[in-house]
Amino acid sequence: MFNRETWIEIAHTVTANPLRTALTGLSVGLGIFILVVMQGLGFGLQNGVQQDFGDEAKNSVWVRTGRTTLPYRGRQPNRYVQMRNEDEQRITEQVVDAPAWSGRRMMWGSTVGYKNEQGNYPIVGVEPDFDELELLPLKGGRWLHADDMAKESKVCVVGENLLDELFKQDDAIGAFVTLRGITFRVVGHFSKNGRWGNSMVYVPLTTMQRVFNGSDEVDQMVLSTGDLDLEGSKAMVEAVDGDLRMRHSVHPDDVRAVRVRDNQEEFAMFDRIFTGIRLFIWIIGGFTLLAGAIGVANIMAIVVKERTVEIGVRKALGATSGSILSLIVIEAIALTLISGALGLITGVATLNAVAPYAEHDYFANPEVNLRVTVTALAVLVVAGAISGFVPALRAVRIRPIEALRYE
Amino acid sequence: MLALREIEKSYPLAGGSLPVLKGIDLNIAQGEMVAIMGSSGSGKSTLLNVLGLLDGFDSGGYDLDGVDMAGLSEKQAARYRSQFLGFVFQSFNLISFKTALENVALPLFYQKVPRRERQKRAMEMLGKMGMDDRSDHLPSELSGGQKQRVAIARALITSPRVILADEPTGALDSTTSTEVMQVLREVNASGITVIIVTHEADIAEQCDRTIRLHDGVIIEDGKSGEVVEPTARGARSQD
Ligand SMILES: Nc1ncnc2c1ncn2[C@@H]1O[C@H](COP(=O)(O)OP(=O)(O)OP(=O)(O)O)[C@@H](O)[C@H]1O
Ligand SMILES: [Mg+2]
Repeated sequence: MFNRETWIEIAHTVTANPLRTALTGLSVGLGIFILVVMQGLGFGLQNGVQQDFGDEAKNSVWVRTGRTTLPYRGRQPNRYVQMRNEDEQRITEQVVDAPAWSGRRMMWGSTVGYKNEQGNYPIVGVEPDFDELELLPLKGGRWLHADDMAKESKVCVVGENLLDELFKQDDAIGAFVTLRGITFRVVGHFSKNGRWGNSMVYVPLTTMQRVFNGSDEVDQMVLSTGDLDLEGSKAMVEAVDGDLRMRHSVHPDDVRAVRVRDNQEEFAMFDRIFTGIRLFIWIIGGFTLLAGAIGVANIMAIVVKERTVEIGVRKALGATSGSILSLIVIEAIALTLISGALGLITGVATLNAVAPYAEHDYFANPEVNLRVTVTALAVLVVAGAISGFVPALRAVRIRPIEALRYE
Repeated sequence: MLALREIEKSYPLAGGSLPVLKGIDLNIAQGEMVAIMGSSGSGKSTLLNVLGLLDGFDSGGYDLDGVDMAGLSEKQAARYRSQFLGFVFQSFNLISFKTALENVALPLFYQKVPRRERQKRAMEMLGKMGMDDRSDHLPSELSGGQKQRVAIARALITSPRVILADEPTGALDSTTSTEVMQVLREVNASGITVIIVTHEADIAEQCDRTIRLHDGVIIEDGKSGEVVEPTARGARSQD
């Protein structure tokens, strides 16, 4: 059945009907192409948004402040709401019961020097718990200790970009660097996914407050919600939000001055969005597949009809029904398989060609889901085989003379 | 070689059935050249198709080479068509997208003859038909007579015992008809049984034996020159 002779026969009939071959190819190839591109874009969107989340723990609440936009209790708008150590202390001790927390303060574009090398990196002041709130996989040395906080030690943990750019061959652990002109000792380094997360230099928050601007200011606060469910984390958000608004006299409707973001809730929201996108892709993909399958079925039905007399002739020349059936079915399979593969290749090529131009905050790595695509291709090939088989079976079942007389 | 006993066949028709063969008794020996004549609608093609296992029959018996053909499976019928029978049609029935050579070689494909061998034998057969210079032509690039030569070459390629031809000259002019009949006579001379359906008297005259059908029964059967007498039982006037 699958010998060389059959293939030569098939190659013959396929090339003998270029229009039909092109039509089948188009309906299958286009179907797979659209599916691949849709899947790719969907994944690109998902990847983009997930990347935007970075490696923040899912069960964390981020507290940020800004300028007021509404007057409240006799206070003018456009006042900057600054969190301080006392806020953090009060919130973590009296307002909520968070298993882990950290204040956070950031100094962008700080000059970091090592020997003769120097570069600009963000310095981030955090507390030891911070590594529970954001994923910072250590590659060497240690993370910041409570001891470092208490003693306001001049130690830092650096991202892997600094290893490449400053330390080069040298061992970073134990090396001394200057942060804004002040000497710190490197105690650890980490490597995380993503682009710029690896340029960070982490120092104890207390050290930063003391050494760089001698204040008790905290820019952000990150609180862990532990294993609270969405309900619980919402309550926590409300408590923190309410406390800060009261303490700093911020209007309850002022959305800029106090911003408490619940990662868990946002994750849940994006999860819903992705489910929606996936469903959408499935529906579109399903219809594309259906259209492709119907296209193939139509074309095969016409083809077999057109070839009814030929089937009669072949039978008169001694062909068995089986040989005619397998000819048509293998032909249908070969046609759909080749066109589907072409659609897949062009789809992947298109995604790869477009990807570099489509990098965006909410779009990254539009990868192809091979499993889905191959399944789709298999579905179309089976559809092709069936849509060749059914009319062919009808055609070979009739007596040869009826096929010969067919008009 | 071929023996029909009381063959009856009718076509189903809206509200009944149309009897077409009404008890045909016929024996054809190996090496005969037989013409089947009769007026239009008398059942000539139907009879030939039954003989060629392209169509079935309702009752009666058919022995081909001593084997009963009644209740033959589809696969067995295909084998007999492949090994015993060769067909020549009025409308040639060449496969349009295959060249002359490929058309001639096709029956060998169904006998599982290797490709090289197929090509070689097909080329030889085309040569015998004087068509070797047209081997790579598509049917659409051939004249009617040339197409029929290719079709005859295709019917002969498997060295069948019987050639069945339904009005092989029906679509050809008289000169070409004569040439095609010449070829068929040569085929017959090599020992192959040839059965030709025709309604042209001069074609029948080139056969050895003529059978005349009328309304589904054989009304005359004898040496060619004798049966086609214009006055023979008034059959001519019904043509
Ligand atoms: N498939 C069919 N269904 C119904 N009736 C048919 C069918 N084929 C043939 N007939 C009828 O059977 C009768 C014999 O047909 P057949 O083709 O054998 O005639 P014929 O002798 O070959 O005629 P012609 O010389 O015109 O070719 C005709 O009356 C025809 O109408
Ligand atoms: Mg006829």
